[in-house]
Amino acid sequence: MNNFRVIFEVTLKSLIRDRLLQVLLACALFIFLVVPALSLFSMRQVQELSVTLSLSAISIILLVLTVILGSSSIWRDIERRYLASVLGLPVSRTSYIMGKFFGIVTFIMVGSILLGLVATVVIALVSSQYPSDIPVRWLYIWAAILMDGFKYVLVAAVALLFSAVSTSFYLPFIATLVVYFCGSASQGVYEYITSDYGKTMSAMTRNLISSIYYLIPNFAAFDFKVQAVYPLAVPFQGLLFTGVYFLIYTGMVLMIAVWVFNRRELA
Amino acid sequence: MNALSITGLSKTYRGKKLQKVTALVGLDLEVAAGEVFGFLGPNGAGKSTTIKSVMGLIRPTAGAVKVYGVPATDPSSRSRIGYLPENPSFFDFMTAREYLTFVGVTCGMDRSVLHKESERVLGLLDLAQAADRPIRGYSKGMVQRLGLGQALVHDPDMYILDEPMSGLDPIGRALVKDIILDLKQRGKTVFFSTHITADVEAVCDRVGVIAKGVLEAVDSVDSILEKGILGYVIRFCSSDGSDGVKRVSREELDAAMRQLLESKAVIKSVEPERKDMESFFLSVVVRS
Repeated sequence: MNNFRVIFEVTLKSLIRDRLLQVLLACALFIFLVVPALSLFSMRQVQELSVTLSLSAISIILLVLTVILGSSSIWRDIERRYLASVLGLPVSRTSYIMGKFFGIVTFIMVGSILLGLVATVVIALVSSQYPSDIPVRWLYIWAAILMDGFKYVLVAAVALLFSAVSTSFYLPFIATLVVYFCGSASQGVYEYITSDYGKTMSAMTRNLISSIYYLIPNFAAFDFKVQAVYPLAVPFQGLLFTGVYFLIYTGMVLMIAVWVFNRRELA
Repeated sequence: MNALSITGLSKTYRGKKLQKVTALVGLDLEVAAGEVFGFLGPNGAGKSTTIKSVMGLIRPTAGAVKVYGVPATDPSSRSRIGYLPENPSFFDFMTAREYLTFVGVTCGMDRSVLHKESERVLGLLDLAQAADRPIRGYSKGMVQRLGLGQALVHDPDMYILDEPMSGLDPIGRALVKDIILDLKQRGKTVFFSTHITADVEAVCDRVGVIAKGVLEAVDSVDSILEKGILGYVIRFCSSDGSDGVKRVSREELDAAMRQLLESKAVIKSVEPERKDMESFFLSVVVRS
């Protein structure tokens, strides 16, 4: 437990001191600065567009951060030969992986909250200048932001799994993006093949797509943007199911990552 | 109990085009507590593979490694080891002081002891001035010295040093030799790999020579040097006051000494003429 904490702290420190991430966060702030101006393009739904753009900006920034952090974390430690030094200490590989993961998770969640705070200021500013008939429901907006944060924690776990296997940066980077885009689209595809249109497809194709749907993470389950933009009640049961799904899926991915990494040769 | 016990250690890699590459073949070795053991071998002989197996970084194809009786696969076996990897590299966003703290905490050191030891080690390795600078700005020699520092800071019972003199200037090399000799005096176990025979001759109790993955020879340094004596050079001052030098074989030494003393000569020095460690090393490697 002690060594898990040490690796966690070191990971967090490395992320805070990372110049690339500092530049990314500066870019993120710039994006939020242009959200009020871009929202004006919608003549009648300025407030709604500001919510949409703010949530989308958070999502894109978190995606970039997560894919870079998750894909490069282990690879960088191996490539720069840090890992031989660290694992030469009485640190188990499990502590190393878990410390890394929770360091990244903390960074993502704190990043989500900070970006959420900036988004709150931007949305409040726009809604005060261009009031809408639809009220702003801050609780829904924050539910959407936090669920987005959880989604990227799951993406980080997937990236870490690929990073635990790979000897290069590109495989985890590309594979994580592929899983992300497939996982974001899988719900729509599944609904299509289970509808009347899908019946025109062969049973084998439908079974194959269904298998992939159940295998890859369903990121659409974490999307509560529509509820946040047009204040629609966020069903508690939906949040609960998503939360349980998140915990189980992330736990399983991490277990596989630890299992693989414990068997990896660090020559 | 032996500090290090290696039994039947073999390692086979899958190389390019899935070809089998044999890195180690049935290596058996025991290093006693308090011993300084030099692990000699040419490049690619299997020195680093052996060390990586001891440190649990790679999984042996066959055989077992135990550190003070604990299997090397158990991370706790490393709590009694100070490890310096070959061409070490450390989190470069940290300062040397932060890195030593990181190492000490992972080894379960008390914070106050750790602070004192960090300062001592930084001073010993001449890193005190650079201790608060990020490691990314260090020279190769400074990183190597920090590597030694992180191996020393928690005062382990055994030191595993992979090419510890690599990248060091003559002053640094002398410092490392002094450190190893100090560890030897304090009863610590040191296992270090090198291909520089003079280093082994200077500090080791025993030496093992590995070539093509096979441990070809293990012997004490004294015994190797003793066996390598070809003869002696006697320098003397004869009874008429003139200086003289006489070369004799091992067998002739007693008689020559007696003869000189009987002729009232003053013996100034008797020096062995011998094959050095390098000759021994080369003979073993060539034989393999």
